[in-house]
Amino acid sequence: MSRIGVFICHCGENIARTVDCGAVADALRDHPGVTVATDYKYMCSDPGQQLIKKAIEDNALTGVVVCACSPHMHEKTFRRAAAQAGLNPFVVEMANIREHCSWIHDDREQATAKAIDTARTIVEKVKHNRPLQTIRIPVTRRALVIGGGIAGIQAALDIADGGHEVVLVEKDPSIGGHMSQLSETFPTLDCSQCILTPRMVEAYQHPRIKLYTWSEVEKVDGYIGNFSVTIRKKARSVDEDLCNGCGDCQAACPSRRIASEFDAGLSRRTAIYTPFPQAVPNIPVLDREHCTLFKGRRKGLAKDACGTCKETCLKGAIDYDGEDTFVTEEVGAIVVATGFQLYDIGREQPEGLKGYGEYGYGDVPDVIDGLQFERLASASGPAGGKMRRPSDGAEPKTVVFVKCVGSRDPEKGMSYCSKICCMYTAKHTMLYKHKVPDGRAVVFYMDIRAAGKGYDEFSRRAIEEDGAEYIRGRVSRIFRDGDKVKVWGYDTLSNRQVVVDADMVVLATAVRPQPGIAELAQKLSVSYDQDGFLNEAHPKLRPVETNTAGIYLAGACQAPRDIPESVAMAGATAAKVLGLFSADELERDPSVALVNERTCSGCFNCERVCPYGAIERRDVCDMEGHVCGHVAYVNPGVCQGCGTCVAVCPSKSVELAGFTDDQVYAEINALAGW
Amino acid sequence: MSELQDTARRLLDEGAAQVVIGWEAGRRGARPAFVTDAAGCDRLIFDARCVHDLATFLNPRRSQVADLGRAAVVVKGCDAKAVAGLLREAQLARDQVVLIGVRCGGVAAGPEGPEPPALTADTVAARCHGCDVREPASVDVLVGEPQPEPPVAATLDERVAALDALSPAERLAFWTTELSRCTQCYACRQACPLCYCERCVVEKTEPQWVETSPHARGNFAWHLTRAQHLAGRCVGCGECERACPVGIPLGLINRKLQQVVYELYGYTVSDDPAVPAPIGAYAVDDTQDFIR
Amino acid sequence: MSEAAITDRDRAIFEPRITAFVCNWCTYTGADLAGTSRLPMASNVRIIRLPCTGRIDHLFVVKAFERGADGVIVSGCHPADCHYTAGNYHARRRFGVFRELLSFLGVDPRRLTFSWVSASEGAKWADVVNETVARVRELGPFDTYHRLADASAADGDPFAALEAAAPGAAPQAAGNDAALEATVGRSAR
Repeated sequence: MSRIGVFICHCGENIARTVDCGAVADALRDHPGVTVATDYKYMCSDPGQQLIKKAIEDNALTGVVVCACSPHMHEKTFRRAAAQAGLNPFVVEMANIREHCSWIHDDREQATAKAIDTARTIVEKVKHNRPLQTIRIPVTRRALVIGGGIAGIQAALDIADGGHEVVLVEKDPSIGGHMSQLSETFPTLDCSQCILTPRMVEAYQHPRIKLYTWSEVEKVDGYIGNFSVTIRKKARSVDEDLCNGCGDCQAACPSRRIASEFDAGLSRRTAIYTPFPQAVPNIPVLDREHCTLFKGRRKGLAKDACGTCKETCLKGAIDYDGEDTFVTEEVGAIVVATGFQLYDIGREQPEGLKGYGEYGYGDVPDVIDGLQFERLASASGPAGGKMRRPSDGAEPKTVVFVKCVGSRDPEKGMSYCSKICCMYTAKHTMLYKHKVPDGRAVVFYMDIRAAGKGYDEFSRRAIEEDGAEYIRGRVSRIFRDGDKVKVWGYDTLSNRQVVVDADMVVLATAVRPQPGIAELAQKLSVSYDQDGFLNEAHPKLRPVETNTAGIYLAGACQAPRDIPESVAMAGATAAKVLGLFSADELERDPSVALVNERTCSGCFNCERVCPYGAIERRDVCDMEGHVCGHVAYVNPGVCQGCGTCVAVCPSKSVELAGFTDDQVYAEINALAGW
Repeated sequence: MSELQDTARRLLDEGAAQVVIGWEAGRRGARPAFVTDAAGCDRLIFDARCVHDLATFLNPRRSQVADLGRAAVVVKGCDAKAVAGLLREAQLARDQVVLIGVRCGGVAAGPEGPEPPALTADTVAARCHGCDVREPASVDVLVGEPQPEPPVAATLDERVAALDALSPAERLAFWTTELSRCTQCYACRQACPLCYCERCVVEKTEPQWVETSPHARGNFAWHLTRAQHLAGRCVGCGECERACPVGIPLGLINRKLQQVVYELYGYTVSDDPAVPAPIGAYAVDDTQDFIR
Repeated sequence: MSEAAITDRDRAIFEPRITAFVCNWCTYTGADLAGTSRLPMASNVRIIRLPCTGRIDHLFVVKAFERGADGVIVSGCHPADCHYTAGNYHARRRFGVFRELLSFLGVDPRRLTFSWVSASEGAKWADVVNETVARVRELGPFDTYHRLADASAADGDPFAALEAAAPGAAPQAAGNDAALEATVGRSAR
């Protein structure tokens, strides 16, 4: 039996001026199932709430309808009041007679009639409201961070310092990411490695951080608070416990001609290698793809073609027979911090991308990209920090920097702005001029985007103090001309064509997400946009969360980012994770879907449409344990309560608590008596 | 014919199937047959009277059929599309059924007659016009001779167009009359291979969305619901209309929705279960000119 | 009552009844904003709040018409803005089909309004409401649907026609206008 209390608020004059609240109370008092109906000046005030609480107690109410403002304003208020009076908060609803009635109508008769209809509709709905209980799911208070660049390292440190264990997975042999490749960072010209390596060591040594390098995420099962992650530890061929990082194996390795990834192809490395001297961990990796011994094994040679590193190693740490191993970690939250790659704009392109062959990248050795310039400028780089151009090692006297290569180009490249190139190009001109004071640095630009703290001053310093020449216009062609690199450009401000005979050209190419991001996103059930950047839950108000509960984003995997922003985002994700971990159990709104397994036909329309992947297939067994069918199951820990599954179920075997078919039917039916 | 019978015999002998579901000649025409032994394979026929969509027997809830064992089903192209629908919607696993496809040149309006009728513009079923699966793919075995295109009288498309040309009020009057005859016997639902729900929405009483009272209002709700549930899934086998005891032109509604789904989303129901159905999927640039 | 029989006088006093199914995050909040902005609106619309347009079943629309609505509004978040990321995409597909189906069975599509109204589009909501009410007022009450339960086969017992027909022949489509019959065709297979 329904015993519903209806409380009509005057809201001062806001409602009462147009709606006859007394008449609404009178009409509702006669409505079947309504035990008490009364009006009051300010229902949300203390005395108003007291009135409701007393009515609940005095009349043993089973439901409450407050006719007042929008539920977006005060539903929580009245639900809390009801809970204090011992009534389940989910049998409390609001009828909107202010925003949707008294504030938009003038005619008192019409507004009052509409208020009565609205109140009746909600009363009929509440008759079908069920006393829902907050869903509680356990939380494993460990986090996984995917990616060991500056964002991943910062997130790991912040979560670990917050008192929880972190598993940090990095696909390269060392953590550090692209920041370790940079020479100096804007806007301070700090040495990048100097500020990064202490963080890297801290992460490595932190008692609560478990580091897997040369590893990748293979599989992710589960849901928020309860993820089970399988990590593939790629075969390093070096025993991490025995190796002491002496480097003898690298010194002895006869295979020395392999393009170094760390130096962006500008130098060569050995087959067994650490990517850079400050690598963390300082344990080499054997590149089986290029190693002579493994090439021989793949060819089927009877005897191993080389064994130098193993023979050299005094600790016996080299193991040629190891395979990839798999390890499973249980975590409650995942932070994705996989960073970026630069757009390789050479002629050869994978499906769907177009190159910029006219810029000569890949053909002309002295046309390089931003990361390659960083390596040239870096003291630990292939040229020892001296400006030496790749083709002949000569000091370039004229360097042209081209911005917006592959960015802001909807026709051919990426349509978005890559954000960091204006700043790092200014930085590059300054680094160049500091090393070659009599050199000429020419920048072709469309705009100068220097919006951060100290950024505009930094850009102007490049022009005003270090003499960089900024030409506003685009470049049409770059090609080799003798031992020069000819650059054909345009100066739009003085309206003339410009030809520069450069010694070297640096292209500020677009920032893109890492290769393989789509596969990773699919493993995580995280969505991504057409450029591959991972999607945040809301661009303004939820920038570090995704629509997959429990998975957060930090750094350039979400959009082009500079270092301060990546660090800030990492801190933000840590705050979210620590918030999630702050209680033993996760409390969730109980407005979730539930499948009636008895009537479900196992067509899985619901599974197909669920935006959150909250629906699983479950086997149905007979009494002997044989599988005789399958039905859908909604994971209450993941379901966000949109109800799309309900609408698409042909047999109506799934219900959404709070908006059940019974409730909606009752509302529609209530309007029949107009 | 003998190719079909030989195939059936072989499958039973090899144990690839325990029952062959096909057609046989009865007293008045063709009817479904369930053959479990080699001798019975002699009864299997395929001619223009084989209108029945045998895929309907693959509904996992028809336990008497399921109990016979793994079935080899003889399917025309439209029937193969129905099987694909069952596979797509997890009602069936591919290894639970053997599909014997038959090349089809159209079927007659009904299964009756002591002899298979010659297919003329008057005798052929209207739904056969424009068939794109006269040679079903996605089957295990394909038998029969290639068949010519069926002749055509008034196509379903022309009749749908005639209705489209009327005003909404005229259409409402037309359907009110047609649907007033409906008694909600649900023969259409039972005959349809893709209506397999454990508990149909019309049988849900809390709340009772679809009035079961057989007046036009309840019947409208029933037919609107059934058509919407079949949108993008209906294979056009015509069984619903054939089963209707009061002759409601259900084929018109189904054909209209096939056209709608094609015009809006470029989709035609496929006999390949890997091709997803349009409802339950979406494209970011789906048409929305009806939305302000 | 056929629509032709509705007089101009009926239309003059007729107040359309509109049921609106709206999503909580966008349109409902947009309607709140319209209220906060005191935008004047016709009072004929009754809003039923759902979490998402993805939750809106075609059955709601049918039931609303059955229960006396002369017009129905379905409104939610703009594509790409759905609070639940994809509910409105699914609704868009379903309703793209359903409105054609309804129209084919004779419900004037002008009685059904679909809109994307975001939480910041209070003015747009007011427009949708006022324009829908004006349009449906023009169309008149949807009596033909409201009175379907009174409708029966136009000429007597439909089963009589069946009994009269020879076995195996297509039953007479009882009562439809002969000219209509000729165009649309008999209930043929």
